[in-house]
Amino acid sequence: MNASTLPSKTASGSTRFADWEVIAVTVLALLAGWLIKNSVESRSVPFESSGISAQTPQGWLLTTAQGDEILHVTNLLSTGFGTTYIIQNIPIAADATVGQAVSLLSLQRGQALTAFRVLEQKQVTVFGQAAYELGYVYVESNPNLTHNEIPNVVRGLDYIFLNGDHAVIATFWADDKSFESDLGRFQRFLSSLKF
Amino acid sequence: MPDQVCCVCGDPASDLIGQRWFCGKHFQSAKRERPHTWRMSILLVVGLVVFVGIVYALDLVLHPALTGIGLVLAGVILALVPALLWLVFFYLQDRLEPEPKGYILGVFLLGALLASAVGIPLVENLYHVSKWIYTDTATTILGSILVVGFIQEFLKYAAVRFSVFPSAEFDEATDGVIYATAAGLGYATVLNLQFVIANGGVVLGSSVIRMAVVALAQASFAGITGYFLGRARFENKPWWWMSFGLSVAAVCNGLFNWLRGRIVQRGISLTGPTTNPWMGLALASVVALITLGMILWLIRRNIRTALAEKLELEK
Repeated sequence: MNASTLPSKTASGSTRFADWEVIAVTVLALLAGWLIKNSVESRSVPFESSGISAQTPQGWLLTTAQGDEILHVTNLLSTGFGTTYIIQNIPIAADATVGQAVSLLSLQRGQALTAFRVLEQKQVTVFGQAAYELGYVYVESNPNLTHNEIPNVVRGLDYIFLNGDHAVIATFWADDKSFESDLGRFQRFLSSLKF
Repeated sequence: MPDQVCCVCGDPASDLIGQRWFCGKHFQSAKRERPHTWRMSILLVVGLVVFVGIVYALDLVLHPALTGIGLVLAGVILALVPALLWLVFFYLQDRLEPEPKGYILGVFLLGALLASAVGIPLVENLYHVSKWIYTDTATTILGSILVVGFIQEFLKYAAVRFSVFPSAEFDEATDGVIYATAAGLGYATVLNLQFVIANGGVVLGSSVIRMAVVALAQASFAGITGYFLGRARFENKPWWWMSFGLSVAAVCNGLFNWLRGRIVQRGISLTGPTTNPWMGLALASVVALITLGMILWLIRRNIRTALAEKLELEK
């Protein structure tokens, strides 16, 4: 095979310029795409209930809150388990410690969630506010027995804040595969949480 | 013209087409219209539709009870068929208009490699496209063009531009379309393989339609990039030519993805959204035939205009 290269008269500065120009146009398109992605992901709608407010993601499915929940939103575009944010406002004894609130929450989670396992728990400061972080994992399975789907492994993160005679709990649930990538958006949601 | 050299091989040039000089041998190849290439493209579209029909009918009649590794293997074979079909047609026509098979296979593998190493990780792991692109119509169109379209078309462009493009084997404008199509089919094969592996196998009937649609779309839009590459190689084109060509391919790619989503989606039932994948196949076949037909017409017109200008100058 006679595979000589392009003669110098055609592999000229203009060809190289065209190459760089194609790269530049592609980079510009990708930057514009990134801006659109960020703009879509930062679209939010205000939420307020029981003196607690936050900016919840726009376009997510708002589910009827149950029990102590005051907010329950789910991203229907998630693959596998739909990424979910929950806010709970649980009444506690006035002299209760955060440790007691965490124990109570762990117990409730253990009873309600299949294969619930705590991965880590620690005291943290969330945007200047003292909180307790509880990281865990559980398995979510469609209760409809006719659905032949493999159950999803879900990772959860609870932030427990003491607020007088209530504990405010901000929860993040996401499919194990998308937990890391969805965490940033949850942190933006957490930064908007006011009580 | 002692100072002029052939723009393909660098030998002393004797003929001028479209402001580029050619030696006698490459002048002959530059003015060929290669009708077999277009017959091959039409055969690919028809062959894929026939193949889809056969697999779909077999699935309906036989209801093959595939599970586990059998299901994955069946999916992998289906994913490879569009590229194999094209290579078979290519081999058949190649006896008439020989093109180095090593280069064709190399560009195909390069397209596949770039899809696997760069394209899919960028689209899925960096941009997480599926999580935001379907928010609303404007976002779907813009995201499909600016992210998916540009990534896919740039990588197919790179697979040709930085491999076979500077070689003497790239000796006519139609070669741009042939090599870019090979890169596009490599890209499509990896997309289909990824779909099979991510789902742990596939349902034969509906999946074979999806795979044919992906292959037809990727090959068609790569053909657009290839057309612009081919002309950039043999003509003095303005500075914006190649980036314009890539943008056209990316816009077509993005609009196709959006339109396919609209057409395939039939409605919502109690069990969820219902789809009609046959509409996607019909759309992809029409788009492939129109795109490749337009490229054929443009290349033919270009060759004839250049030759007419040459004759005019000689008079």
